[in-house]
Amino acid sequence: MQYRSVGPLLLAVLLSALPARAQHLLMPMDDEQANHLKAYGVTFSALTDGLRAEWLLNFRGGSFLVPDLPSLRRAAALAGVTFEVVDADRLVQIRKEIADGNMDAVPLEKSPRIAVYTPPDAPPWDDAVTIALAYAGIPYEKIWDDDVLNTDLAQYDWIHLHHEDFTGQANKLFLGFRDAPWFLQARDRDLATARRHGLGDVPALKKAVADRLRAFVERGGFLFAMCGATETLELAMGARLIDIAGPFSDGTPMDPDADAKMDWSRTFAAQGAHLEFAAGVNAMSDIDGHQVNVPSRRQPLGTFTLFGFSAKFDPVATMLVQDHRTVISDYYGVTTSFLRKVLKPGVTVLAHEEGAPWAKYIHGSYGQGSWTYLGGHDPEDPQHNIGAPPTDLALHPNSPGYRLILNNVLFPAAKKKPLKT
Amino acid sequence: MIVRCAGVLALGSLVLVASLVRPVTAQESAATAAILARALDAESAGRNRDAITAWRAALAAGAVVPSILGLERVFSGLAQEESLLVALDTLVPKYPREWQLRTVQLRVLTTMGLDARAAMAFAEWRDLTPAEVMPYREFARVLLFGNRAAAADTVLREASAALGSTKALVLEVAQMRAGLGLWREAAEAWRDLMVEEPYYESATVWSLMAAPAAARDAVRGVLGGPAVSLGTTQALAFLEVAWNTPRSGWMALAALPTTDTTIVLWRLFADEVERVRAWSTARDAFAAIHAARPDAGIALRGAQAALASGDAATALILARSAAPMLDEVDRNANALPIELDALARLGRAAEAEALLAGAALAIGPDGVRAHARLIAWAWIRAGDVVRAKHALVDAPLSAEDAVAGWLALFDGDLVTARGALRNTEVPGQDAVNALALLNRTPLERSEPIGAAFLALARGDSTQASRRFEAAASELPDAASLLLTLAARIETSRRNEDRSTALWRRLAAEHPQSGEAPEAHFELARGSRRRGDNQGAREHLETLILDYPRSALVPQARRELDALRTGAV
Repeated sequence: MQYRSVGPLLLAVLLSALPARAQHLLMPMDDEQANHLKAYGVTFSALTDGLRAEWLLNFRGGSFLVPDLPSLRRAAALAGVTFEVVDADRLVQIRKEIADGNMDAVPLEKSPRIAVYTPPDAPPWDDAVTIALAYAGIPYEKIWDDDVLNTDLAQYDWIHLHHEDFTGQANKLFLGFRDAPWFLQARDRDLATARRHGLGDVPALKKAVADRLRAFVERGGFLFAMCGATETLELAMGARLIDIAGPFSDGTPMDPDADAKMDWSRTFAAQGAHLEFAAGVNAMSDIDGHQVNVPSRRQPLGTFTLFGFSAKFDPVATMLVQDHRTVISDYYGVTTSFLRKVLKPGVTVLAHEEGAPWAKYIHGSYGQGSWTYLGGHDPEDPQHNIGAPPTDLALHPNSPGYRLILNNVLFPAAKKKPLKT
Repeated sequence: MIVRCAGVLALGSLVLVASLVRPVTAQESAATAAILARALDAESAGRNRDAITAWRAALAAGAVVPSILGLERVFSGLAQEESLLVALDTLVPKYPREWQLRTVQLRVLTTMGLDARAAMAFAEWRDLTPAEVMPYREFARVLLFGNRAAAADTVLREASAALGSTKALVLEVAQMRAGLGLWREAAEAWRDLMVEEPYYESATVWSLMAAPAAARDAVRGVLGGPAVSLGTTQALAFLEVAWNTPRSGWMALAALPTTDTTIVLWRLFADEVERVRAWSTARDAFAAIHAARPDAGIALRGAQAALASGDAATALILARSAAPMLDEVDRNANALPIELDALARLGRAAEAEALLAGAALAIGPDGVRAHARLIAWAWIRAGDVVRAKHALVDAPLSAEDAVAGWLALFDGDLVTARGALRNTEVPGQDAVNALALLNRTPLERSEPIGAAFLALARGDSTQASRRFEAAASELPDAASLLLTLAARIETSRRNEDRSTALWRRLAAEHPQSGEAPEAHFELARGSRRRGDNQGAREHLETLILDYPRSALVPQARRELDALRTGAV
């Protein structure tokens, strides 16, 4: 009886092992790994070279399996990435272990083409994703407003947004930085771009950009956003025909009925949120649970916990939470978290703070594509102030927070198969 | 004794405070003082149970404020603050305007996490005295003490709205802003505060020292701006010390006009930089003080700092300027050793010898012998080993003395050197190199090695490098280390061609040696300096792949990343 039930499974394991007689390299992603972040880069470079890789979900922290080639051994050694040589017999054992547990092996077939939405003159340390990509050695292209409005975004598999304010209010930084040269320069640059596209002001420009990004996801793209881009993208998409920008950014007051007029059917994650009408209050809405820039509302940082998903039935969510830690210290951003009460029912919460009314990391589908939001600015700089020194990832090669970002980078490389999430 | 005095003082003040709560007769006052003394003694002795009983008795006797403060101290030490709440619930309505009771109440409620009750208590006090700043100040302070800057900010904003300004709360505003990481704004608040109250410079330093590197220029801009108070400049100077940039601190202070007040500030600053061993800054500060108000003690401290910073010339000047201000005994005890040390380091051996001879009568034969090592060092620096040995004729060193070890090494006597150099008190790089070499070779004698180290001691790096390289051919056991020593000298001299040749030879001829990774590392850096990034990359990759256990691998990876991302 016991053999009968195991038989088909064994057969499947053996069949899957048949083409894999050659040796493989296993990059464990548990505490044995010396450099988790660069392991993503080595895997990505294998895909770029046309090789196949596998992401062993929930197996030793979400390990990577690549062919045993001298070039990959060399790349791993240079990067300081721990790897183990796996022969065919050991691979059969691993596959059986995966088949028997809450694990799965996801084939990774092609390196995704990545675009990061960032101002042309932005230093790479202004954005946790560009820091992570640069450190891991993963190539990306920079796109900005003209690129989004003029080019076909379908050429990219993955677009990342960071702390851009898509409501066009420059994160209300005018409150403290209205005379700062960099602030004035950015405002003039955005205004010139808006006029080039026949738009009257910066809020109109950013809403047009947000709409293109929404269409990118709707047509099958992957969008990952962090920090203030999450919340403001939601607001900009929902306010396509409404003035939600303060007079300091477009010369006209906010529509007093903006709250009621918001079209939440156009947003990815939020619904029924309330806009912040006070120009002097540095917040956009009540989507963010932490409100870091409003002293009287600011909530203290805690820790957030990653959810465990069924690897075989929920591979997407499982990929996004692969980590060697399940509880991670929280960190502030312009938007740090997402209040559960304003999330749409279909949103998958990937991480939350125990007992708190907010989620930290959320994911969902929209049209043919999908989006992921991660609150906060920099996983290794909890307070992150303007002008703070850049994070040096060489000092955090095992950062569990940065792994979440890189999970999103590799996720579009996974071979598509029926997904239940 | 000090504790007892403090107790008497405290008792006096407590009786005074007690008398503020209600009028007392002389008899009552004496009885209350006795109870208070008993309570203080019990508290000081750590007899908490007795202290609580005594403070309660004092409370019953009418000494309300000191008793509540005493009970708060004891209960907080026992983590039983809740025991105070019942008493406060009775006493606060009875003495609603007694600010110390109100403050204790806010402190206890906040400590216990009863934020809602704390907010109610604050609101009640505020409403009772709507025009007074005290409720806002005390509640803000309590919150700031608990690291709750954001909550304190709310209270201060409310104060601003209710009172029209936060001028009376500028101290709390400064602390709050620093707590929130608003460094420039915090610096502005501290600067404004110190216009009236310059003695807050220590609080300013303490508050702003946590400012991250990127925010420090903003703080400097505020505190170092024109028309700031003396306290502000002092705070900036001490902040620079805390930020490990003491030289900038001294530059701020050195620009002040020389007045008695400035000299006092310079003294405080000099003490501080001396304490943190910022020797070159300490040297300059002491020298400036001495120049403005000549003082032998200050000059000698400056000379010591100069020696510690490696500036023997300034040490000599300062020691010589101090000498005439001292009597003979002090001069020989304090100025002479510094002068001799400085002369020895400068290799001015004849001068040193003459100086010691001049003082010989006063310090006697034992004194002369005590300084013989310095004279020997002076001759070594001058490159005259024979006279160095001669200087030690009347003061023979033990075979284990480090100076004897160096002399033996210069002679090529590796056996004696091997034993004695281990006793070097604070081994410098030369001693470390010598010991490494001596441990690498089993040879008992080697004149080439001695000659190389002697050249190094004389400061003749060209000869030293040549001799180390030549010795490498004669001592195969230590060849890789000798080549490394030669290459390091050439690298520090920025002699690119020769250093590259030496590192290349080391990498090619001794690939299995412990020094080979360093050779690749230096070759990579040399390539990068020449703009040959590909060459640099190859050397770094060789280091990482061929020497994975080398301590240089993490740095090699970092430099490889920098090359890849174009950060160099």
